[in-house]
Amino acid sequence: MPTTRPSGPATGDRLAGLRRNDPASLRALYTTHFPTVRHFVLANHGTANDASDVFQEAVTVLWLRAREGSLAPDTDPGAFLFSIARNKWLDVVRSAAHRRMTIVHDQRPAVATGEADDGIEERLARLRSIYDTLDDKCRTVLDRFYFERKDLATIARELGVEEDSIRTIKYRCMMKLRAYRDALRGEKDLRP
Amino acid sequence: MSSTAPDRETFEAIEAYVLDRMPAEERAAFERRLAADPKLRAEMELERDQILAVELGGVRRVLAALGHEEPGRGGGRAPWSLLKYAAGIALLLAGTLWWFLRPSDNERLFAEHFTADPGLPVAMSATNDPVFADAMVSYKEGRYAKARAQWAPLLQREPQNDTLRYYTASTFLAEGDPEAAIPLLEPLATTDSTAFVHKARWYLFLAYVRTGAVDKAMALPVEKDPVRGERARSIKQRLGAR
Repeated sequence: MPTTRPSGPATGDRLAGLRRNDPASLRALYTTHFPTVRHFVLANHGTANDASDVFQEAVTVLWLRAREGSLAPDTDPGAFLFSIARNKWLDVVRSAAHRRMTIVHDQRPAVATGEADDGIEERLARLRSIYDTLDDKCRTVLDRFYFERKDLATIARELGVEEDSIRTIKYRCMMKLRAYRDALRGEKDLRP
Repeated sequence: MSSTAPDRETFEAIEAYVLDRMPAEERAAFERRLAADPKLRAEMELERDQILAVELGGVRRVLAALGHEEPGRGGGRAPWSLLKYAAGIALLLAGTLWWFLRPSDNERLFAEHFTADPGLPVAMSATNDPVFADAMVSYKEGRYAKARAQWAPLLQREPQNDTLRYYTASTFLAEGDPEAAIPLLEPLATTDSTAFVHKARWYLFLAYVRTGAVDKAMALPVEKDPVRGERARSIKQRLGAR
């Protein structure tokens, strides 16, 4: 199936870019590989929004694998993303509401994604829940420092505050997150 | 693990280690401390996890933004300074153009009420006609001309096929060409035996409104539509009030 040719980094560089949260690499992955997933989902009772959802989840799986260093060096990101997205969509289609629907089988060979056996979905869900506890102020500062990899001086300039304030906010936000997790762990330990 | 929070200095040392921002010599020394201190090691794991959570939040934010863009639209962007001028010129041109080409009342009514038919759910293996299903996928992807081209030979073979007529008309409407949609919709809107009668009547009604054929629009019994009747009545009131 034809896919859009991106003007971003080449395939090999895209995984390296993904490891360092490079937006151009994310964009290139999106523009190159999303159309194939969208075609598959639309051909199987889904909508464009469904396709976006499963594709975005697949990219986060690829991202976490890249960050954890658990991707094979010769991983084809397109095949990996398609495989994950297809499995996720087939799970939806096979669910109760869609049980009577017929599936369009794809001819692509299955790609080893390691999805089922090591709890990556649980890890992603846990990381998402940690992030969800952050308030807007903390997200603004932590996003820029840890995700966008900006230095403190740049963030301070952007937000119009002193560099040391940003440093303090960052520390306090991370400690708030830590305290929240401690509290959660405490509750868990108290359960019978 | 102890729940005692690390002081800022320890926190930042761990952070520099996790983000790989430590000079080699310092890193080696820090790794020796980690090997000897299980509490520090646990603290490092915890901080690494939190940083990963923040990074995942950023990845999801970027993906959500990309999801709102048209796929395949990526690529180079003009520098901000140029964009500013371009935006200014575009605004001026748009204002002038709007003045000369400002939409008529009918066009506004059409725009307020028209949303393209979402298409049929398809599973290609479940149909005897994969060409039809493939075209439906093109239609749902917004590639209306392609869908129409794929349906054209089928429609030529079966010119009275209501599904083909209806969705071919839908491609024209979605592309803003109601004149081309009208002859396809007219027979469907008067055939009670077709499953498309209500939808065909509604879209024909909108097509008439859009092309200024107000008399024809007023004559269509579209207010009987169980889903869109209310909206049809309100449009007719607005047409009648002119």
